Amino acid sequence: MRGHWPALVVFGLAALAPFFVRDAFLLDSLILILIWGTLSAAWNVAGGYAGQVSLGHSAFFGIGAYSAALLATRWDLSPWLGLMVGALLSTGAGLIIGYLSNRLRGPYFVLATIALSQVLLIVASRWRGFTEGSEGIPVPFRPGFWTLGFADKATWVYIGLGAALVLYLIQRHLEGSRTGHQLAAIREDEDAAQSLGIASRRLKVMAVAGSAALASVCGTLWAQYVGFVDPFYVFSVDLSVRFALGAIIGGTGTALGPFLGSFLITTLETYLRATFAGIGAGLVGIYLIIYGLLLIAVVRFVPQGLAGWVRDFARRR
Amino acid sequence: MCIIRASVTAVPQLLVSTVLLGGIYALIAVGLTLIFGIMRVVNFAHGEFLMLGMYLAFWAFTLLALDPYVLLFVSIPLFFGAGLLTYTLVMKGVIHASHNVQIFTTVGLSIALQNVALVLWTGDFRFVRPWYYSVVVRLGGTAFNLSQIAAFVVSVGFTVALFAFMKWSYTGRVMRATAQDRDAASLMGIDTDRVYGLTWAIGIVCVGVAGVLLAPLYPVYPTAGLQFVLLAYVVVVLGGLGDMVGALLGSLIVAAVEVVGSYVFGTAWKEVLYFLLFIAILLIRPAGLFGQRGTETLGV
Repeated sequence: MRGHWPALVVFGLAALAPFFVRDAFLLDSLILILIWGTLSAAWNVAGGYAGQVSLGHSAFFGIGAYSAALLATRWDLSPWLGLMVGALLSTGAGLIIGYLSNRLRGPYFVLATIALSQVLLIVASRWRGFTEGSEGIPVPFRPGFWTLGFADKATWVYIGLGAALVLYLIQRHLEGSRTGHQLAAIREDEDAAQSLGIASRRLKVMAVAGSAALASVCGTLWAQYVGFVDPFYVFSVDLSVRFALGAIIGGTGTALGPFLGSFLITTLETYLRATFAGIGAGLVGIYLIIYGLLLIAVVRFVPQGLAGWVRDFARRR
Repeated sequence: MCIIRASVTAVPQLLVSTVLLGGIYALIAVGLTLIFGIMRVVNFAHGEFLMLGMYLAFWAFTLLALDPYVLLFVSIPLFFGAGLLTYTLVMKGVIHASHNVQIFTTVGLSIALQNVALVLWTGDFRFVRPWYYSVVVRLGGTAFNLSQIAAFVVSVGFTVALFAFMKWSYTGRVMRATAQDRDAASLMGIDTDRVYGLTWAIGIVCVGVAGVLLAPLYPVYPTAGLQFVLLAYVVVVLGGLGDMVGALLGSLIVAAVEVVGSYVFGTAWKEVLYFLLFIAILLIRPAGLFGQRGTETLGV
């Protein structure tokens, strides 16, 4: 259990929240914090631990969201099945992108990931016969476990928490295990890692594909929770940036960082939305201006992120 | 038979459209590739400066009744100033940082600028409609818009001027020297920091001017830059990142794909075509058509 106590506090508080909080708005924020945090953590697996920075992770998120929604509306199949189909498809897409990461580095890789999400966006918004095109798909709500329909927000808190815990443990594993150390070596200096006999190509592809599958699962959960899939949202570059933003602000390559980052940006967003919504709809953009400036400031002054900063501070003492 | 005849008569029109469109894309792409070639930074906020150019044209036209082509002369120093300002405030501190830091710095700048536009001017689509907006010129079986030709002419003039500046002026030579070898240039007494500032500002002027030129042709809204800049990425990777001549040829190729693709498959699918072209290029020859082989794996 060494080093797990901050996570225990954070996730423990989230687990207790439904017992004390009855306010639907606060519970909704908590669920979104958990889901966005889990997505940032999924991004962190490839972007933080393996150093394969992507700005196209919304592609996998969207695949997960669409798979479950389409399977449910077209063939009346369970979203759990959609979740698995989405994860499989995303693994496939992740393998392609992972293969590309062996040929491309730095900005080239980022551009390739953006291109993937944009191609999917165009296909989803134009293929009217299958995806309903740009209008999007309302996800049918059918109560029950098998159909992933829960009206109760507390249940969703525990679903989000379960996903978050799985991601937290995966990341912790990456910090302590041989694979994790190998990925860190690849991230810091790929040529040196390769010369030490690390199978860098295979490991990178695995990290990207795994990260893709995890993002896809979160996409399914999100779509089932929110109840609507809009192609221009689920495949947007903005969403990809959001996943990366949570991990960067919280701390790339730290297990708790993405959840911390997600907590900060989601609360800021909800607070500012609530504050400015009454004054003028256009002012809602203010929170995004703050995001942008925060991103510039964090990568420049605290590149290790908040969790990294706290860790370094604790070590220095 | 009928279809073949139809496509034969369409050829001159397709050619003219390709050249006109390619000329404008070139101006956007040249700025992007110039910044990459010398600073080794991919500017993810490039599209936002295009959007600002379009808004500048819109406001000058609506409030001051200033024609976009008159505004052009004012916009050059304005965007040069904006470029120097963003360089000093944002880019200067990360010029020697890792790729990831640079990428997220420009992404942050992009988000901030986009939403400054959203807050100040709302998300409404706006249009610039000068008198020549609907003037159509017909010549030898082809028809095109007057503002398209004007945009093309100015764009090409601007690009040629930039090429001449880079090739023959002393500053241009200094910039190219910095592009070839940062450290050697610095040892030769070149103030590389000033060169980077200048490069960034010139790149921003190119794309800002392109925005002013595009304003009479396309609707103006806060994320208007995105579609053009995605296209510019395709162009510069196609021509080889950092390669200015490659960017020109890349613009023509992408414009041809767009024009011919829209004609054959319909406009709805044209973006898919150039993204597929992009992915194919990344798979087959990521250094671009003319770039040096292997640059993509070095990440430089």
